[in-house]
Amino acid sequence: MKRPSPPTVRRLIGLALLIAWEAVPRLGLLPELFLPPLSKTLAVLWLDSYIYAAALMVTLYEVAIAMLIACGVGILVGAVVGGVASIRNLMLPVFSSLYAIPIVILYPIFTAWFGIGSESKIAFAGVYGFFPVMLSTAAGIRTIDEQYLLAARSMGATLPQLIARVIIPASIPTVLTGLRLGGALTIIGVVVSEMLTSASGIGYLVTMNRTILDSPRVFAAIIVVLALSVAFDIAVRALERYTMVWQSAGRRMASSSTDTSARLATSASAA
Amino acid sequence: MQHMARVSPGDGQTPRPAVEVRGLGHAYDGRDGVVAALADIDLTVPAGQFTVIVGPSGCGKTSLLMMLAGLRTPTSGTIECDGRPIAKPDPERVGVVFQEASLYPWLTAVENVEFPLLLKHTPRDERRARAEQMLKLVGLDGFGGRYPHELSGGMKQRVSIARGLVQDPPVLLMDEPFAALDEQTRMTMGHELLRIWSETSKTVVFITHSLTEAVYLADEVLVMSARPGRILDRVPIDLPRPRTYQMMATDKFGQLRERIWQQIRDMP
Amino acid sequence: MSRSAVILVRIALLLAVLGAWEVLPRAGVVNPMLLPPLSQVLVVLGEILKRGDFQEAMAVTAAEVLVAFVIAVPLGALLGVLSAENEYFGAIFKPMLFYVFSIPKSIFLPMFILVFGIGFGQKVAYATFSTIFIVIMSASAAVESVKAEYLLVAQSYGATRAQILRRIYVPSMMPILLETLRISMIFNFTGVMIAEMYASRTGVGHMISNWGENFMLPQLFAGVIVLAVAAMAFNELVRYWEARCSTWRG
Repeated sequence: MKRPSPPTVRRLIGLALLIAWEAVPRLGLLPELFLPPLSKTLAVLWLDSYIYAAALMVTLYEVAIAMLIACGVGILVGAVVGGVASIRNLMLPVFSSLYAIPIVILYPIFTAWFGIGSESKIAFAGVYGFFPVMLSTAAGIRTIDEQYLLAARSMGATLPQLIARVIIPASIPTVLTGLRLGGALTIIGVVVSEMLTSASGIGYLVTMNRTILDSPRVFAAIIVVLALSVAFDIAVRALERYTMVWQSAGRRMASSSTDTSARLATSASAA
Repeated sequence: MQHMARVSPGDGQTPRPAVEVRGLGHAYDGRDGVVAALADIDLTVPAGQFTVIVGPSGCGKTSLLMMLAGLRTPTSGTIECDGRPIAKPDPERVGVVFQEASLYPWLTAVENVEFPLLLKHTPRDERRARAEQMLKLVGLDGFGGRYPHELSGGMKQRVSIARGLVQDPPVLLMDEPFAALDEQTRMTMGHELLRIWSETSKTVVFITHSLTEAVYLADEVLVMSARPGRILDRVPIDLPRPRTYQMMATDKFGQLRERIWQQIRDMP
Repeated sequence: MSRSAVILVRIALLLAVLGAWEVLPRAGVVNPMLLPPLSQVLVVLGEILKRGDFQEAMAVTAAEVLVAFVIAVPLGALLGVLSAENEYFGAIFKPMLFYVFSIPKSIFLPMFILVFGIGFGQKVAYATFSTIFIVIMSASAAVESVKAEYLLVAQSYGATRAQILRRIYVPSMMPILLETLRISMIFNFTGVMIAEMYASRTGVGHMISNWGENFMLPQLFAGVIVLAVAAMAFNELVRYWEARCSTWRG
């Protein structure tokens, strides 16, 4: 017997999960407090759609600003750390040590400093997303093939030309990996901080409804967060495909091992 | 037949030197103090000559080539190219073809070839026309739109050669350009290089590990010693041109190859 | 820059940061309410380390971290090895894992609270949940990092299955395994912290969260220092092993 293809199995598993989500509470296998049926959850989401939309807007606003900060500062610092050997030797080990600290413990400090409004979420998520962007930018610049630089110099490239025509295009794939991780972590950071101390946003809806034991509304908020991270993932993948027409399968294979460890290293604060 | 009329060195009427190196030395700071990489290199390459440099690994061949390209500063001595000293890279006088494919993967073949012209702010139409012309010369007409990963190893090195030639420099430096290719492709590429050379009448300085390739390509083979690299011997290759694969089986070819091999083998 | 110069500059930088932490609030450049001077924080740090409730909280947190670690790492490693060994299951589950990786696991905290309450078990369960995916992924990456040629050579010399496991798999996977230990500890610690900060009656995470809400900044900073030092200490310890194990990798 031929085994069904992995994507088919994945779709079947997804479908099974959805059916289970509906059937398990309906059949009384789990109390509805633990797992409200899917239909009930969706109905609540539809009923309260304006509340969820408003909360999503707050979350999206915080995510957008935090991403700008994380990516902007991350690329800038990463370029300096990766490009200047003395700073790299000095700082890279320090950054990887600091990376071990669970950043979430800084959040109480941010709320004390910035209050419980959007500012503290933006600051926290910005720090959260900064590290992967910075580390992969540094790695992307550091691992540029020496031959590329040598060839450009032999053709008489000036330093600005070297940066614009060789260093930037050569480091784009690695930087994009960092942006994907950094972006995902920024979303996570905003949601986590909204859950911890907040008065608005999707994370706040999770916590608030949990406190009043309104499970369908908790799960409706979870669905919104899941949709948000799926949408982000799809968007970044599309962007990657668009910018990487030139990237060969062979190159991707060659970089996959470093890619994995970079991914492991940089995603190390997924909450 | 242009290449038949080519004057080989020592034929009396010596052409103006294209590359002139005097007393060149290079030393760098290693872990155990100063390391002499090259010493007392004197070198004259007449215009239009195909010179091949061979030597053991680590003898500083690549160092020498880097200095000829203006990519590294010598510790002592002078380098003149086309009658003027070389202090920094000057792609209008010296083109370089590197070891592995140093083509930019984010540019198509034709964009790679245009790259040096782009750096010089040559107008778009002109650089595209020049690049297409070069691709035609190296036998890649119609492949300009492909990205490097869509080309075979031999084709990539053809693109590299086209890139080295696009500014029409009188001198072309080649650092083991075919080292990564398989044996058959390597032979074909050598043959192709001779064709391109005879059509463009460039001065070529070519580094290789392969003695067969050296004898097959060269007008003159320079044998370098182990570190510090010096020029031990100059072997004129007086095989007729155009070279053919059949020549490799001749006694003459074998003797030349043997003479070079003896010296490399006897090195400490 | 030489090795010793690098270390000197790093020490100088550290001293500069610590000095600024002391001087800026004292000079009134930053509000000492928001950033208490370092010396004040250190005094408070000394005090809270002696307090019984803080010691108890540390013991609880350490136990949660440890138990979750002991569950998540072997279990995740097993699943990871299985998914690397069986291509079909790998092809099914790996894309799902990569997706699960990018979703905020904290949104499932309410479910853990509903099912396990807000005690020890819930912290361990949530930390295990938030750690296990990274362990699965890195374990399967570790198995895949063993080069086919190594196996082929060993097989051609007649190595047994046990020998291949012991002589080929273990040494060549060692660096990645240590890296996995290090990173899963970061995940694990983060998981426990979030769970404690979110809803708890004890634990260091719960305490710093309270100090933050009550605007007790010297205590808050002291607590953060304790946690950060603990996290970095474990990290450096494993990195030291990593460095010793990877000398052959060059």
